[in-house]
Amino acid sequence: MRKRVYYWTDSEHINKPVISDTILNTGVKINILKAKVEPQEAFLILELFGSKETIEKALNYLSKFGEVEEISKVIKRDLEKCVHCGCCITQCPINVIYMDEDYNVVFKEEDCVGCKNCLKACPFKAIEIFE
Amino acid sequence: MIMKTIKEINEKIKKGEAVVVTAEEMIKIVEEEGAKRAADYVDVVTTGTFGAMCSSGVFINFGHSDPPIKMLRIYLNNVEAYGGLAAVDAYIGAAQPNEDPDVDIDYGGAHVIEDLVRGKEVELYAEGYTTDCYPRKEVNVRITLDDVNQAIMVNPRNCYQTYAAATNSREEKIYTYMGILLPEYNNVHYSGAGQLNPLQNDYNPETKSFNTIGIGTRIFLGGGIGYVIGEGTQHNPPFGTLMVKGDLKQMNPKFIRAATMPRYGSTLYVGIGIPIPVLNEKIAERCAIRDEDIEVPIYDYGFPRRDRPLIAKTNYKVLRSGKITLNVNIDGKDVEKTVKTGSVSSYKMAREVAETLKQWILDGKFLLTERVDTLGRAENKPMKSPITLVKDILSKPPITAHSNISIMEAAKILIKHNINHLPIVDEHGKLVGIITSWDIAKALAQNKKTIEEIMTRNVITAHEDEPVDHVAIKMSKYNISGVPVVDDYRRVVGIVTSEDISRLFGGKK
Repeated sequence: MRKRVYYWTDSEHINKPVISDTILNTGVKINILKAKVEPQEAFLILELFGSKETIEKALNYLSKFGEVEEISKVIKRDLEKCVHCGCCITQCPINVIYMDEDYNVVFKEEDCVGCKNCLKACPFKAIEIFE
Repeated sequence: MIMKTIKEINEKIKKGEAVVVTAEEMIKIVEEEGAKRAADYVDVVTTGTFGAMCSSGVFINFGHSDPPIKMLRIYLNNVEAYGGLAAVDAYIGAAQPNEDPDVDIDYGGAHVIEDLVRGKEVELYAEGYTTDCYPRKEVNVRITLDDVNQAIMVNPRNCYQTYAAATNSREEKIYTYMGILLPEYNNVHYSGAGQLNPLQNDYNPETKSFNTIGIGTRIFLGGGIGYVIGEGTQHNPPFGTLMVKGDLKQMNPKFIRAATMPRYGSTLYVGIGIPIPVLNEKIAERCAIRDEDIEVPIYDYGFPRRDRPLIAKTNYKVLRSGKITLNVNIDGKDVEKTVKTGSVSSYKMAREVAETLKQWILDGKFLLTERVDTLGRAENKPMKSPITLVKDILSKPPITAHSNISIMEAAKILIKHNINHLPIVDEHGKLVGIITSWDIAKALAQNKKTIEEIMTRNVITAHEDEPVDHVAIKMSKYNISGVPVVDDYRRVVGIVTSEDISRLFGGKK
């Protein structure tokens, strides 16, 4: 099972190895997709791998040190509007969008974290993100 | 050298006997059979391109109202059209923003054009210049494309032969006609159909001319039949352009698409296809040009000048691979960096254009024309515009300090030199921070002890070759009143303040 979450670390725990401790204490695997660390706050996009029980344990553990929000956003593309120009491709921080061999712009929707960078870049307003 | 004529090819087209291939197909044919046999066998090569063509628009004749009006100020769905023509003639340009600043570029001239092609109702509002024969003051009606006499698309610059690719050296994202360019060269954007591009497939690099395309060439334009009027504006091979015309009423919204480049402007994506008659071996050989044969320069669009720094030269094959390795300078260090490439035009749609045109010819629906003359002279004359650079207003050597001085010493330097900004440099003269008189005041109030505690580390800087106008924009954007000037190695060579700029612009009034 895989789950993606937004995670904000409380300021008092910002210098603690929360991610490492979570891994050690629960056995979950964690991929850090994005990290933005500032003196007062840390914001991360995390990808958790493991059994359902393991992931639940990990989420509970993380909640002790900050705020967890599940990513349940869905990206959708209006194929009527899309012309496969490719303006969105380089804007995706996690490479969800690519051009295939026939020069179609392809979205791996299941991997999307809803950051909206591609939505802002599309000249045809063909991309929507449902929250 | 002459093997066949357009007249002969047209006879074959009428009989359904012409051999028609796309430019992509021609690459394989010439590869396998050689140019001479290909020239014998193939009659027509179709090309295609589909991309943003800002220099596009439509002349519309609305027909006369009763009582008649001489329209002067004209709006279509609140987008202004040019009215300095005869009474009910107007020209709606693709790049025109909406009159409503809240809508602005989200619905501009291009969007009006697409709506007309889609058969949608569009609101026409016009104010008249009243005369004896045209007494009406105002008109406000809803129209569709069917309601107007003519809607003639005339595009002053379309079908660029090659586009420069774009990247961005700045520490911030920039918004351009090439899309959004990420900071510190983190992406490269390119445009153009490369090996499918009409002008590329017809180009003679020795003479910088075109083999068959010229005034009067019949073309696929936006899903309808159109014609080359002549060279487009800024025509300068190998950056050739075309001026084209067509009938909006024949067009297909699939190939006429309005778009908004984020924070840049409205534009119209246009599909253009041109058939190339394979009259001889030389023409056949050129029709087999490949993406890897077409050189594309990559420029730094983070540089706010007409002549931008050349970062690399590459080709369409590399660009289409999705990534490229650049050798760039970041903060005075030479770095090799592999970044993503992205297209801003659609090769998929360009293929569809070439394929559609091929089918039209095979079906006998499209005959080729002889050009009546070649395209006109190439010109590349920059506008005579005055420019003031940062180096033009630097006078005194910069006052800088090291971070190991005390706050008291810094305060004395500011007082002694009557300045408000003190760049902090390392032992090599490289910028590491800046402090202002306000920072000193804050330090006293907050009982801070060292320069490193109070200095701003992320410093907005300027370059000697940067236009002063751009520095002023940066100051306003970041709400700062002084900008250190650094060289390519981030050594401080001067400082520009808001007082300097006020003095400069004050003198210009």
